[in-house]
Amino acid sequence: MASALPLSDIKVLDFFWVLAGPGVTRSLADYGATVIRVEATNRTDPVRTVGPFLNNKVERETSALWWNNNAGKYGVTIDMSKPEGKAVALDLVRWADIVTESFSPKAMKAWGMDYESLRKIKPDIIMISSCLMGQTGPLARFAGFGNLAAALCGFYNLVGWPDRQPSGPFSAYTDYIAPRFGLATVLAALIHRKQTGEGQYIDQAQAESALQMLTIPIVDSAANGREYPPVANRDLYHAPHGVYPAAGDDRWIAIACRTEAQWQALTKAMGQSALAQDSNFATFADRQKNQPALDEKIAAWTRSTDPLTLQHKLQDAGVPAHVVANTFDMTEDPQLKHRSHFVQASHGSLEKTWIENSRYRLSRTPAPIERGAPTLGEHNQHVLEHILGYSEERIVELVSSGALGE
Amino acid sequence: MLSRCRVLDLSTERGFLCGQMLGDLGADVIKVEPVGGDPARNLPPYLKDQPGPDHSIYWLAYNRNKRGITLNLETDEGRDILRRLVANSDFLIESENPGAMAARGLGYESVRRINPALVYVSITPFGQDGPKASYADSDLIMMAASGVLVLYGDEDRGPIRMSVPQAYPLTAADAAGAALIAYWERLKSGLGQQVDVAAQESISLAGQSTSLTALVHADETRRMAGGVKMGSIRVPLVWKCKDGLVSCVFLFGTALGVFTRKLVDYIFAQGACSEELKDTDWISYGAKLLSGEESTSAYEQKLGVVAAFFAARTKAQLFEIARENGFLIAPISTIEELLQNAQFKDRDYWRKVEHPDGITLTYPGPFAKLSGHPIAFRRRPPQIGEHNREIFGELGIDGDGIAALARKGVI
Repeated sequence: MASALPLSDIKVLDFFWVLAGPGVTRSLADYGATVIRVEATNRTDPVRTVGPFLNNKVERETSALWWNNNAGKYGVTIDMSKPEGKAVALDLVRWADIVTESFSPKAMKAWGMDYESLRKIKPDIIMISSCLMGQTGPLARFAGFGNLAAALCGFYNLVGWPDRQPSGPFSAYTDYIAPRFGLATVLAALIHRKQTGEGQYIDQAQAESALQMLTIPIVDSAANGREYPPVANRDLYHAPHGVYPAAGDDRWIAIACRTEAQWQALTKAMGQSALAQDSNFATFADRQKNQPALDEKIAAWTRSTDPLTLQHKLQDAGVPAHVVANTFDMTEDPQLKHRSHFVQASHGSLEKTWIENSRYRLSRTPAPIERGAPTLGEHNQHVLEHILGYSEERIVELVSSGALGE
Repeated sequence: MLSRCRVLDLSTERGFLCGQMLGDLGADVIKVEPVGGDPARNLPPYLKDQPGPDHSIYWLAYNRNKRGITLNLETDEGRDILRRLVANSDFLIESENPGAMAARGLGYESVRRINPALVYVSITPFGQDGPKASYADSDLIMMAASGVLVLYGDEDRGPIRMSVPQAYPLTAADAAGAALIAYWERLKSGLGQQVDVAAQESISLAGQSTSLTALVHADETRRMAGGVKMGSIRVPLVWKCKDGLVSCVFLFGTALGVFTRKLVDYIFAQGACSEELKDTDWISYGAKLLSGEESTSAYEQKLGVVAAFFAARTKAQLFEIARENGFLIAPISTIEELLQNAQFKDRDYWRKVEHPDGITLTYPGPFAKLSGHPIAFRRRPPQIGEHNREIFGELGIDGDGIAALARKGVI
């Protein structure tokens, strides 16, 4: 018989929304936590409005980004501006081990749902507030998405060509960093509570979590005064190091040589032993210094070959190389297939949805990804009846009061 | 919070951050280095640009809150000592290529016999098995394989990565959460397990689910300088202003269209756009663009008006306007500007860490603020073998024994 899921005893009242927060509760749900995701009917989660959309149709339930961030959660709608709605939320606080939220600071306080209020109802509650810049400080109320935190944190200038304005990272970069730290912090707080009985309040500034990814340039800038201008694909540790054109529309192969052996293997795979003898590229320092010339030679070799053919040839020779994978490559990737990275999940109104698996495998208690993301208010009845134990009369009353939204 | 946990950190540069996070959260982390020191101690950039075992900023960045020992795992005696440490540990973190630990008799299947409750965390490029398990890797290679690199850069040139390594810090941060999920389960079952973390899958989160595009038959998202392209529609995120660049979200739909409407209303109030632009329905605009009801040229024209509004103002002016009105605009900052940002100073974010050379280093501070047990920088990164005496002493190896081990090259 399969082992019980790791987090099957954890109950989460989830007011997270958009991307950075829901990434944490997706992982908790993957491993068995009961996550009740609260939505408002009059304020759509922006993620429901961002693609990729099923068959390109922009509808409330067709965003694969929504599916992927919210799989395995129960969905309820609550109108927090109504006293009846707030009463439901407070009952859920009494039920929960963890309360999450990622509004701009003050929203929870306005509802009387800040940590000080909640711990009066449930002294050992763990609460995490995750917002862009943190709960305090002059920018506390500066709300927005991860692209804005990435801009303020210095990520943009690190992606770019020296001769152009920076390209910046793709979309809301800090939203893909923060959940990793949020998850570890929440779990540490749970472990601490189990051992001491003490709850905890966690103030996560997504910017402050994300900056852990920039420790090297920060320590370096502060100590050495070094600047970090855009350098395209140049690297301190590898030469050659770059993305080279391959046959096809927007097809590329990434190649990186760190060791002498890898460099020798590359020249051999290219069938250009003369290159290995060329004094311009004799040492690592030479290859780094003369990389534009080296890049041209490599590009001339890669340009008319299929990128997967190049990848196989180079990896067989021991050279770090990989096709620059697009969505079609990802779908066909034999490694991702081997690990069941893309999985089908059930859905309340669609035949099926596609999501990504948990990002790691636990050998004895793997995540059984089956249930997809909730439709808006899909589990209102289930949560009120089975989790809160409300009577049918009370549920009917709640619905007619508008406490569950429009 | 994790003060009852002991972590053996055998990781290479791929995994340093995992142990550091557990250390930040209170665990007793022992960094196990080969005799002579971890190879990452040789990685640039260096303090004062001078190489040296305590000068690699890569090493210094991700090894605080750890004690350090040296142990030669190529010797039987070294492996025996490690097994004794395993018996008293809760976590082991390693990031060797698949099979390398097993070849030393230290794979999960062997060490679980010493300590069945051990959470054994393995961080690799592609996972423990599968057709790419033995592929050679690097930061760039992993960004390429995870479906993220293709989204970075300018549309008329090849993809470019973020120039500071991201692949493994992202993966190692995931590994810390995964390790704690396994630990929570162990508190109930008494049993450990292997946690298999693959960089390829971990990093893919940063692609914002665009990897699902083919499976759901949507238009492919493509890279674009300072933004993204969805089909033929350009979505700029970087905008030029008078004295630099800002990032701004200018999007549509029931959630994001509201911000766009507010911004355009403001631009109109400043006399910088037509009534027609002001009256655009930004809620339904995205659907109209996708269906072709609104032409891309009409859209480009609208973007041009907004661009002109930005171009006439400074970064500081635009940020001020954004903060007053709740617009989605932020200045694109250098590292220097980041270090001067009043927000982080006000939150006492930057941490000063004394370096053995007598200089003080500035680090990014805690990744979260906790009310009961704040993250503390208890220890600077260890010097080579700094805690050998202390930790081997805890195993009952006395001074003479340590000297003998050192002579034999075990420590």
